[in-house]
Amino acid sequence: MIRLLAAALLVLSSCSNSPEKARQNEPAAPKDTAYAVFTVEIKGMKFVPDSIVARKGDRVIFVNRDLVPHCVTELDSKAWTSHIIPPGEDYMHVVDSSSNYYCAIHKVMKGKIRVKE
Amino acid sequence: MSKKIMSWAYCAMAASLFLSTNASAQSTPKLSDPEIASVAVVANQNDIGFAGIAQKHSKNADILNFAKTMATDHKAVIDQAVALVKRLGVTPKDNAVSKKMLADAEKTNASLRTKSGKAFDKAYIDNEVAYHKAVISAVEGVLIPQAQNAELKALLEKVDPILKTHLEHAEMVQSSLK
Ligand SMILES: [Cu+2]
Repeated sequence: MIRLLAAALLVLSSCSNSPEKARQNEPAAPKDTAYAVFTVEIKGMKFVPDSIVARKGDRVIFVNRDLVPHCVTELDSKAWTSHIIPPGEDYMHVVDSSSNYYCAIHKVMKGKIRVKE
Repeated sequence: MSKKIMSWAYCAMAASLFLSTNASAQSTPKLSDPEIASVAVVANQNDIGFAGIAQKHSKNADILNFAKTMATDHKAVIDQAVALVKRLGVTPKDNAVSKKMLADAEKTNASLRTKSGKAFDKAYIDNEVAYHKAVISAVEGVLIPQAQNAELKALLEKVDPILKTHLEHAEMVQSSLK
């Protein structure tokens, strides 16, 4: 009986410890996960710059500097979208694959992200 | 229609919109800053009015998307213009140009309201193309050059690319309807 209780306590304590242990066991971030951050300004109704070459995992921050709301939406299959970016606000996109994008509010505004290996 | 004829037609239309307000019909109107503010507000309000009719009369997704953009953007421009004139202590002042624009828009509204379906979509987008061309020509040819206050001039300069993007968008929708 005592042995059973001890076992139960052990289980309990190991359970309560587990999240911390999991965190401790996480490998340190390898150096090659460091990412670059690009900024694309949306101004004068254009994406500036309208073409970016990045690596997978890099971040692209779209900043709306216009008077009107914009969005950034993947063009070909609508795979990702910022939804509405009000004036003065921004949106961060994590680069996953090469994409052509456009503003679904002003469909003539376009840009692209190319992924280099 | 050829590009040349189109651009001639739009010049003629812009001229009739902004020049025929003078009895002499030959000189560019001279506007004060309060009058420019009034023209700017009326120009934006008119397009919000057209968009409102489109939202009731059209079932075409491209037209509805375009109209929604017009309503949002022209409202944003009006908000900026109103905030600016408040800050400057200026009261927009009615004038021959703003009155003519308002009267013309009322005629356009009346005509649009009689239409439905594809005929409506075509009439609406044709008007959007012509209207944006006329407003761009007024902003670049009259409002920006005549604005005295630097902030008013800067706002008009920020509005100009918005209008040009709208025009390009309208032309894209226009050609998709054909
Ligand atoms: Cu946009």
